[in-house]
Amino acid sequence: MTSAGLVTRIGIALALAVTGVSHAYLYIHGYRHIPTIGTAFLLQASVSFAFAALILLGGPAWLRWAGAMLAGGSLVAFGLSRTVGLFGFSEQGWQPSPHAALSAVAEVLTVALWLAYLIGRRFGRPDTRSA
Amino acid sequence: MTDAAHTMSRRQLIRHSAWFGAAVGLAVVGGEVISHIAGTADAARVQGRPTLRFAQVSDSHIGFTGKANSNVASSFSQAIDRINDLGYPPDFVIHTGDLTHLATPDQFDQVKQMMTGLRTPHVFTVPGEHDSVDDAGQKYRSAFGAGTRGDGWYSFDIAGVHVIALVNTLNLKKLGHLGADQLDFIAKDVAALSSDTPVIVFSHIPLFAMYPDWGWGTDDAAQALSNLRRFSSVTCLNGHVHQVFSKTEGNVTFYSGTTTAYPLPHPGDGPAPKPVTLPAGKLHDALGIREVSYTKGQNALALKERTLQ
Repeated sequence: MTSAGLVTRIGIALALAVTGVSHAYLYIHGYRHIPTIGTAFLLQASVSFAFAALILLGGPAWLRWAGAMLAGGSLVAFGLSRTVGLFGFSEQGWQPSPHAALSAVAEVLTVALWLAYLIGRRFGRPDTRSA
Repeated sequence: MTDAAHTMSRRQLIRHSAWFGAAVGLAVVGGEVISHIAGTADAARVQGRPTLRFAQVSDSHIGFTGKANSNVASSFSQAIDRINDLGYPPDFVIHTGDLTHLATPDQFDQVKQMMTGLRTPHVFTVPGEHDSVDDAGQKYRSAFGAGTRGDGWYSFDIAGVHVIALVNTLNLKKLGHLGADQLDFIAKDVAALSSDTPVIVFSHIPLFAMYPDWGWGTDDAAQALSNLRRFSSVTCLNGHVHQVFSKTEGNVTFYSGTTTAYPLPHPGDGPAPKPVTLPAGKLHDALGIREVSYTKGQNALALKERTLQ
Protein backbone atom coordinates (compact mmCIF):
# COMPACT_ATOMS: atom_id res chain seq x y z
CA MET A 1 0.00 0.00 0.00
CA THR A 2 1.23 3.50 -0.86
CA SER A 3 1.70 6.08 1.87
CA ALA A 4 -1.29 8.01 0.45
CA GLY A 5 -3.34 4.82 0.64
CA LEU A 6 -2.25 4.28 4.22
CA VAL A 7 -3.20 7.84 5.20
CA THR A 8 -6.58 7.41 3.50
CA ARG A 9 -7.18 4.15 5.33
CA ILE A 10 -6.27 5.61 8.71
CA GLY A 11 -8.37 8.72 7.95
CA ILE A 12 -11.46 6.65 7.11
CA ALA A 13 -10.97 4.55 10.26
CA LEU A 14 -10.63 7.62 12.50
CA ALA A 15 -13.60 9.40 10.91
CA LEU A 16 -15.76 6.29 11.38
CA ALA A 17 -14.62 6.04 14.99
CA VAL A 18 -15.62 9.68 15.59
CA THR A 19 -19.13 9.22 14.19
CA GLY A 20 -19.39 5.98 16.18
CA VAL A 21 -18.42 7.75 19.40
CA SER A 22 -20.97 10.53 18.78
CA HIS A 23 -23.78 8.07 18.11
CA ALA A 24 -22.81 5.92 21.10
CA TYR A 25 -22.69 8.98 23.36
CA LEU A 26 -26.14 10.14 22.24
CA TYR A 27 -27.51 6.60 22.59
CA ILE A 28 -26.24 6.34 26.18
CA HIS A 29 -27.42 9.85 27.05
CA GLY A 30 -31.08 9.54 26.16
CA TYR A 31 -31.55 8.61 22.51
CA ARG A 32 -32.04 4.94 23.38
CA HIS A 33 -35.47 5.89 24.67
CA ILE A 34 -36.63 7.18 21.28
CA PRO A 35 -38.49 4.44 19.41
CA THR A 36 -36.58 3.03 16.39
CA ILE A 37 -34.07 5.90 16.45
CA GLY A 38 -32.48 4.46 19.60
CA THR A 39 -31.89 1.09 17.93
CA ALA A 40 -30.59 2.81 14.79
CA PHE A 41 -28.07 4.81 16.85
CA LEU A 42 -26.84 1.66 18.60
CA LEU A 43 -26.47 -0.12 15.26
CA GLN A 44 -24.68 2.85 13.68
CA ALA A 45 -22.23 3.12 16.56
CA SER A 46 -21.41 -0.59 16.85
CA VAL A 47 -20.99 -1.10 13.07
CA SER A 48 -18.89 2.08 12.79
CA PHE A 49 -16.55 0.85 15.51
CA ALA A 50 -16.25 -2.57 13.88
CA PHE A 51 -15.47 -1.09 10.45
CA ALA A 52 -13.03 1.43 11.95
CA ALA A 53 -11.08 -1.28 13.76
CA LEU A 54 -10.94 -3.64 10.78
CA ILE A 55 -10.01 -0.91 8.30
CA LEU A 56 -7.23 0.16 10.64
CA LEU A 57 -6.02 -3.44 10.76
CA GLY A 58 -5.73 -3.46 6.96
CA GLY A 59 -9.04 -5.04 5.97
CA PRO A 60 -10.01 -5.43 2.31
CA ALA A 61 -11.33 -2.62 0.12
CA TRP A 62 -14.97 -3.62 0.53
CA LEU A 63 -14.72 -2.61 4.21
CA ARG A 64 -13.88 0.97 3.12
CA TRP A 65 -16.79 0.84 0.67
CA ALA A 66 -19.10 -0.41 3.43
CA GLY A 67 -17.81 2.27 5.81
CA ALA A 68 -18.48 4.96 3.23
CA MET A 69 -21.98 3.59 2.62
CA LEU A 70 -22.66 3.62 6.36
CA ALA A 71 -21.43 7.20 6.61
CA GLY A 72 -23.44 8.23 3.54
CA GLY A 73 -26.55 6.53 4.92
CA SER A 74 -26.07 8.28 8.23
CA LEU A 75 -25.81 11.62 6.43
CA VAL A 76 -29.05 10.92 4.55
CA ALA A 77 -30.74 10.00 7.84
CA PHE A 78 -29.36 13.22 9.38
CA GLY A 79 -30.84 15.21 6.49
CA LEU A 80 -34.21 13.48 6.77
CA SER A 81 -34.36 14.11 10.53
CA ARG A 82 -33.89 17.84 9.80
CA THR A 83 -36.50 17.99 7.05
CA VAL A 84 -39.37 15.53 6.67
CA GLY A 85 -38.58 13.47 9.77
CA LEU A 86 -37.29 9.93 10.16
CA PHE A 87 -39.39 7.21 11.79
CA GLY A 88 -41.46 9.95 13.38
CA PHE A 89 -38.40 11.75 14.73
CA SER A 90 -37.09 15.18 13.84
CA GLU A 91 -34.54 17.64 15.16
CA GLN A 92 -33.50 21.18 14.38
CA GLY A 93 -30.24 22.44 12.90
CA TRP A 94 -27.05 21.30 14.59
CA GLN A 95 -28.72 20.16 17.79
CA PRO A 96 -27.64 18.25 19.80
CA SER A 97 -24.42 20.24 19.91
CA PRO A 98 -21.62 19.39 19.33
CA HIS A 99 -22.42 15.79 18.39
CA ALA A 100 -24.62 16.55 15.38
CA ALA A 101 -21.91 18.66 13.71
CA LEU A 102 -19.12 16.34 14.80
CA SER A 103 -20.71 13.24 13.32
CA ALA A 104 -21.85 15.02 10.14
CA VAL A 105 -18.32 16.32 9.49
CA ALA A 106 -16.84 12.86 10.21
CA GLU A 107 -19.32 11.25 7.83
CA VAL A 108 -18.61 13.74 5.04
CA LEU A 109 -14.90 13.12 5.61
CA THR A 110 -15.41 9.35 5.42
CA VAL A 111 -17.19 9.59 2.08
CA ALA A 112 -14.65 12.11 0.76
CA LEU A 113 -11.67 9.95 1.76
CA TRP A 114 -13.27 6.91 0.20
CA LEU A 115 -13.78 8.82 -3.05
CA ALA A 116 -10.16 10.00 -2.86
CA TYR A 117 -9.08 6.41 -2.37
CA LEU A 118 -11.11 5.32 -5.41
CA ILE A 119 -9.72 8.10 -7.58
CA GLY A 120 -6.21 7.35 -6.35
CA ARG A 121 -6.65 3.70 -7.20
CA ARG A 122 -7.97 4.44 -10.66
CA PHE A 123 -5.24 6.91 -11.62
CA GLY A 124 -2.42 5.78 -9.40
CA ARG A 125 -0.66 2.57 -8.58
CA PRO A 126 -3.04 -0.30 -7.87
CA ASP A 127 -3.46 -1.15 -4.20
CA THR A 128 -2.44 -4.76 -3.98
CA ARG A 129 -3.95 -5.17 -0.50
CA SER A 130 -7.46 -4.42 -1.74
CA ALA A 131 -7.98 -7.63 -3.71
CA MET B 1 -10.10 -6.85 -17.69
CA THR B 2 -10.17 -10.61 -18.05
CA ASP B 3 -12.57 -13.01 -16.39
CA ALA B 4 -9.66 -14.36 -14.41
CA ALA B 5 -9.27 -10.97 -12.73
CA HIS B 6 -12.81 -11.30 -11.34
CA THR B 7 -12.42 -14.86 -10.21
CA MET B 8 -11.87 -15.33 -6.50
CA SER B 9 -9.69 -18.14 -5.30
CA ARG B 10 -10.76 -20.34 -2.43
CA ARG B 11 -8.10 -18.73 -0.24
CA GLN B 12 -9.41 -15.24 -1.06
CA LEU B 13 -12.96 -16.34 -0.36
CA ILE B 14 -11.93 -17.68 3.04
CA ARG B 15 -10.04 -14.47 3.79
CA HIS B 16 -12.98 -12.22 2.86
CA SER B 17 -15.35 -14.44 4.82
CA ALA B 18 -13.07 -14.10 7.83
CA TRP B 19 -13.09 -10.28 7.52
CA PHE B 20 -16.86 -10.33 7.17
CA GLY B 21 -17.20 -12.56 10.20
CA ALA B 22 -14.88 -10.29 12.16
CA ALA B 23 -16.99 -7.26 11.15
CA VAL B 24 -20.19 -8.93 12.32
CA GLY B 25 -18.56 -10.20 15.51
CA LEU B 26 -17.02 -6.84 16.39
CA ALA B 27 -20.31 -5.06 15.69
CA VAL B 28 -22.16 -7.43 18.01
CA VAL B 29 -19.51 -7.02 20.73
CA GLY B 30 -19.54 -3.24 20.26
CA GLY B 31 -23.32 -3.16 20.52
CA GLU B 32 -23.21 -5.26 23.68
CA VAL B 33 -20.58 -2.98 25.24
CA ILE B 34 -22.53 0.19 24.43
CA SER B 35 -25.77 -1.35 25.72
CA HIS B 36 -23.96 -2.44 28.86
CA ILE B 37 -22.58 1.05 29.45
CA ALA B 38 -26.06 2.50 28.94
CA GLY B 39 -27.50 -0.11 31.31
CA THR B 40 -24.80 0.58 33.89
CA ALA B 41 -25.47 4.29 33.66
CA ASP B 42 -29.15 3.57 34.28
CA ALA B 43 -28.45 1.21 37.15
CA ALA B 44 -26.20 3.74 38.83
CA ARG B 45 -29.02 6.24 38.81
CA VAL B 46 -31.91 3.94 39.50
CA GLN B 47 -32.39 2.89 43.06
CA GLY B 48 -35.18 0.36 43.03
CA ARG B 49 -37.50 2.02 40.50
CA PRO B 50 -37.83 5.19 38.46
CA THR B 51 -38.71 8.34 40.37
CA LEU B 52 -41.91 8.79 38.42
CA ARG B 53 -43.90 6.48 36.16
CA PHE B 54 -47.03 7.46 34.33
CA ALA B 55 -49.04 6.51 31.28
CA GLN B 56 -50.35 8.66 28.46
CA VAL B 57 -53.52 7.85 26.61
CA SER B 58 -55.02 10.09 23.97
CA ASP B 59 -57.74 10.76 21.46
CA SER B 60 -60.29 8.18 22.56
CA HIS B 61 -63.01 10.00 20.54
CA ILE B 62 -65.79 8.28 22.45
CA GLY B 63 -68.90 8.63 20.28
CA PHE B 64 -67.09 8.36 16.94
CA THR B 65 -68.86 6.20 14.38
CA GLY B 66 -67.22 5.33 11.12
CA LYS B 67 -65.42 2.69 9.09
CA ALA B 68 -62.03 3.63 10.55
CA ASN B 69 -63.11 2.15 13.89
CA SER B 70 -66.60 0.76 14.41
CA ASN B 71 -66.17 0.47 18.18
CA VAL B 72 -64.01 3.16 19.76
CA ALA B 73 -65.39 2.34 23.22
CA SER B 74 -64.01 -1.19 22.94
CA SER B 75 -60.60 0.14 21.81
CA PHE B 76 -60.51 2.57 24.71
CA SER B 77 -61.43 -0.23 27.06
CA GLN B 78 -58.50 -2.25 25.70
CA ALA B 79 -56.24 0.76 26.26
CA ILE B 80 -57.36 0.90 29.89
CA ASP B 81 -56.63 -2.82 30.24
CA ARG B 82 -53.20 -2.26 28.68
CA ILE B 83 -52.41 0.39 31.30
CA ASN B 84 -53.72 -1.80 34.11
CA ASP B 85 -51.50 -4.63 32.84
CA LEU B 86 -48.24 -2.65 32.89
CA GLY B 87 -47.15 -4.61 35.93
CA TYR B 88 -47.18 -1.66 38.31
CA PRO B 89 -49.68 1.07 39.11
CA PRO B 90 -48.55 4.22 37.27
CA ASP B 91 -48.26 7.32 39.48
CA PHE B 92 -50.87 8.89 37.26
CA VAL B 93 -52.52 8.60 33.87
CA ILE B 94 -52.83 11.59 31.56
CA HIS B 95 -55.42 11.73 28.78
CA THR B 96 -54.19 14.32 26.30
CA GLY B 97 -57.52 15.26 24.85
CA ASP B 98 -60.34 14.45 22.47
CA LEU B 99 -61.83 12.29 25.15
CA THR B 100 -65.12 12.56 23.28
CA HIS B 101 -65.92 12.98 19.61
CA LEU B 102 -68.78 15.46 19.81
CA ALA B 103 -68.69 16.67 23.42
CA THR B 104 -72.20 15.50 24.30
CA PRO B 105 -73.08 14.97 27.99
CA ASP B 106 -73.54 11.24 27.33
CA GLN B 107 -70.10 10.94 25.78
CA PHE B 108 -68.45 12.80 28.67
CA ASP B 109 -70.34 10.59 31.11
CA GLN B 110 -69.25 7.43 29.29
CA VAL B 111 -65.56 8.33 29.07
CA LYS B 112 -65.49 9.48 32.67
CA GLN B 113 -67.03 6.23 33.85
CA MET B 114 -64.64 4.19 31.74
CA MET B 115 -61.62 5.98 33.20
CA THR B 116 -62.67 5.05 36.72
CA GLY B 117 -61.44 1.58 35.69
CA LEU B 118 -57.83 2.84 35.56
CA ARG B 119 -55.79 1.46 38.45
CA THR B 120 -53.85 4.60 39.32
CA PRO B 121 -54.07 7.17 42.13
CA HIS B 122 -54.64 10.08 39.74
CA VAL B 123 -56.18 10.64 36.32
CA PHE B 124 -55.46 13.96 34.63
CA THR B 125 -56.86 15.33 31.39
CA VAL B 126 -56.52 18.20 28.96
CA PRO B 127 -59.27 19.00 26.48
CA GLY B 128 -59.11 18.44 22.74
CA GLU B 129 -60.99 20.51 20.20
CA HIS B 130 -63.58 17.72 19.96
CA ASP B 131 -64.29 18.22 23.67
CA SER B 132 -65.34 21.81 23.10
CA VAL B 133 -67.19 21.78 19.79
CA ASP B 134 -70.15 23.93 20.78
CA ASP B 135 -69.64 25.49 24.20
CA ALA B 136 -66.01 26.64 24.51
CA GLY B 137 -65.33 23.68 26.78
CA GLN B 138 -68.03 24.24 29.44
CA LYS B 139 -69.23 20.63 29.45
CA TYR B 140 -65.62 19.43 29.54
CA ARG B 141 -64.89 21.61 32.56
CA SER B 142 -68.05 20.41 34.28
CA ALA B 143 -66.83 16.84 33.90
CA PHE B 144 -63.07 17.23 34.29
CA GLY B 145 -62.35 20.81 35.29
CA ALA B 146 -62.35 20.49 39.08
CA GLY B 147 -59.32 22.23 40.55
CA THR B 148 -58.22 23.82 37.29
CA ARG B 149 -57.70 27.49 36.53
CA GLY B 150 -58.95 29.72 33.74
CA ASP B 151 -60.35 27.64 30.91
CA GLY B 152 -59.06 24.40 32.42
CA TRP B 153 -55.29 24.72 32.71
CA TYR B 154 -53.37 23.73 35.83
CA SER B 155 -50.04 22.58 37.19
CA PHE B 156 -48.83 20.30 39.94
CA ASP B 157 -45.64 18.83 41.39
CA ILE B 158 -45.01 15.14 41.73
CA ALA B 159 -41.80 13.29 42.68
CA GLY B 160 -39.73 16.44 42.14
CA VAL B 161 -41.13 16.99 38.65
CA HIS B 162 -43.21 20.04 37.73
CA VAL B 163 -46.14 19.22 35.46
CA ILE B 164 -48.08 21.82 33.48
CA ALA B 165 -51.33 20.95 31.69
CA LEU B 166 -52.30 23.45 29.00
CA VAL B 167 -55.44 24.14 27.00
CA ASN B 168 -54.68 25.12 23.40
CA THR B 169 -57.93 24.04 21.78
CA LEU B 170 -60.12 27.03 22.54
CA ASN B 171 -60.13 30.15 20.35
CA LEU B 172 -58.90 28.05 17.45
CA LYS B 173 -58.42 29.67 14.10
CA LYS B 174 -56.25 27.20 12.32
CA LEU B 175 -53.49 26.46 14.77
CA GLY B 176 -53.79 25.79 18.46
CA HIS B 177 -53.83 28.86 20.68
CA LEU B 178 -52.94 29.43 24.33
CA GLY B 179 -53.90 33.09 24.79
CA ALA B 180 -52.58 35.87 26.98
CA ASP B 181 -54.11 34.64 30.25
CA GLN B 182 -52.55 31.20 29.92
CA LEU B 183 -49.18 32.60 28.85
CA ASP B 184 -49.27 34.79 31.95
CA PHE B 185 -50.12 31.72 34.03
CA ILE B 186 -47.13 29.80 32.63
CA ALA B 187 -44.72 32.68 33.30
CA LYS B 188 -45.85 33.01 36.91
CA ASP B 189 -46.13 29.26 37.43
CA VAL B 190 -42.48 28.53 36.66
CA ALA B 191 -40.97 31.77 37.97
CA ALA B 192 -40.05 30.35 41.38
CA LEU B 193 -38.77 26.99 40.11
CA SER B 194 -35.05 26.26 40.04
CA SER B 195 -33.63 25.61 36.59
CA ASP B 196 -32.77 22.00 37.37
CA THR B 197 -36.42 21.10 38.00
CA PRO B 198 -37.61 18.68 35.31
CA VAL B 199 -40.69 20.09 33.57
CA ILE B 200 -43.36 18.09 31.75
CA VAL B 201 -45.98 19.90 29.68
CA PHE B 202 -49.22 18.33 28.46
CA SER B 203 -51.35 19.78 25.70
CA HIS B 204 -53.68 18.40 23.07
CA ILE B 205 -52.37 20.16 19.98
CA PRO B 206 -48.58 19.98 19.50
CA LEU B 207 -46.59 22.90 20.90
CA PHE B 208 -44.19 22.51 17.96
CA ALA B 209 -44.89 23.08 14.28
CA MET B 210 -45.50 19.48 13.29
CA TYR B 211 -47.56 20.36 10.22
CA PRO B 212 -49.08 23.84 10.35
CA ASP B 213 -50.98 23.36 7.06
CA TRP B 214 -53.23 20.93 8.94
CA GLY B 215 -53.31 23.01 12.09
CA TRP B 216 -50.75 20.75 13.79
CA GLY B 217 -49.03 23.46 15.77
CA THR B 218 -49.76 26.23 18.28
CA ASP B 219 -49.46 29.82 17.12
CA ASP B 220 -48.24 31.30 20.41
CA ALA B 221 -46.26 28.30 21.68
CA ALA B 222 -42.95 30.12 21.23
CA GLN B 223 -43.96 32.59 23.95
CA ALA B 224 -44.86 29.75 26.29
CA LEU B 225 -41.64 27.88 25.58
CA SER B 226 -39.54 31.02 26.11
CA ASN B 227 -40.40 30.67 29.80
CA LEU B 228 -39.14 27.09 29.79
CA ARG B 229 -35.83 27.46 27.94
CA ARG B 230 -33.86 27.92 31.14
CA PHE B 231 -34.84 24.50 32.46
CA SER B 232 -32.41 21.66 31.83
CA SER B 233 -35.15 19.16 30.96
CA VAL B 234 -38.47 20.03 29.35
CA THR B 235 -40.69 17.33 27.88
CA CYS B 236 -43.88 18.20 26.01
CA LEU B 237 -46.42 15.46 25.40
CA ASN B 238 -49.40 15.95 23.13
CA GLY B 239 -52.12 14.10 21.27
CA HIS B 240 -54.26 15.36 18.35
CA VAL B 241 -52.16 13.94 15.50
CA HIS B 242 -53.00 10.27 16.20
CA GLN B 243 -49.44 9.09 15.56
CA VAL B 244 -46.12 8.82 17.30
CA PHE B 245 -43.73 11.64 16.43
CA SER B 246 -40.90 13.30 18.29
CA LYS B 247 -38.80 16.41 17.90
CA THR B 248 -36.06 18.03 19.93
CA GLU B 249 -35.28 21.73 20.09
CA GLY B 250 -32.37 22.29 22.44
CA ASN B 251 -33.44 21.26 25.92
CA VAL B 252 -37.08 20.81 24.89
CA THR B 253 -38.30 17.48 23.52
CA PHE B 254 -41.75 17.08 22.00
CA TYR B 255 -43.52 13.75 21.76
CA SER B 256 -46.79 13.32 19.91
CA GLY B 257 -48.75 10.30 21.08
CA THR B 258 -50.93 7.89 19.20
CA THR B 259 -54.66 7.37 19.62
CA THR B 260 -57.00 4.70 20.88
CA ALA B 261 -59.59 5.47 18.19
CA TYR B 262 -58.35 5.64 14.57
CA PRO B 263 -55.19 6.62 12.72
CA LEU B 264 -54.73 9.84 10.77
CA PRO B 265 -52.48 10.17 7.72
CA HIS B 266 -48.85 11.16 8.03
CA PRO B 267 -48.27 14.89 7.58
CA GLY B 268 -48.92 15.92 4.00
CA ASP B 269 -50.33 12.55 2.89
CA GLY B 270 -53.50 13.76 1.21
CA PRO B 271 -55.35 17.03 1.34
CA ALA B 272 -56.62 16.81 4.92
CA PRO B 273 -56.22 14.72 8.08
CA LYS B 274 -59.22 12.42 7.64
CA PRO B 275 -59.58 9.12 9.55
CA VAL B 276 -57.66 6.33 7.82
CA THR B 277 -59.36 2.96 7.40
CA LEU B 278 -56.78 0.21 7.71
CA PRO B 279 -57.08 -3.34 6.38
CA ALA B 280 -58.82 -5.80 8.67
CA GLY B 281 -56.68 -6.83 11.61
CA LYS B 282 -54.26 -3.91 11.28
CA LEU B 283 -56.11 -1.28 13.30
CA HIS B 284 -54.86 -2.29 16.72
CA ASP B 285 -51.24 -2.03 15.59
CA ALA B 286 -51.86 1.67 14.98
CA LEU B 287 -53.57 2.28 18.31
CA GLY B 288 -51.83 2.36 21.64
CA ILE B 289 -50.78 3.93 24.88
CA ARG B 290 -47.48 5.33 26.08
CA GLU B 291 -45.53 4.43 29.17
CA VAL B 292 -43.31 7.22 30.52
CA SER B 293 -40.76 7.10 33.31
CA TYR B 294 -38.44 9.63 34.82
CA THR B 295 -35.40 8.78 36.91
CA LYS B 296 -33.85 11.44 39.09
CA GLY B 297 -30.54 12.62 37.67
CA GLN B 298 -31.47 11.95 34.06
CA ASN B 299 -32.46 14.71 31.70
CA ALA B 300 -34.42 12.55 29.30
CA LEU B 301 -37.66 10.79 30.11
CA ALA B 302 -37.87 7.18 29.00
CA LEU B 303 -40.80 6.44 26.70
CA LYS B 304 -42.22 3.11 25.64
CA GLU B 305 -44.94 2.93 23.05
CA ARG B 306 -47.38 0.05 23.55
CA THR B 307 -49.81 -0.99 20.86
CA LEU B 308 -53.23 -2.37 21.71
CA GLN B 309 -52.42 -5.56 19.83
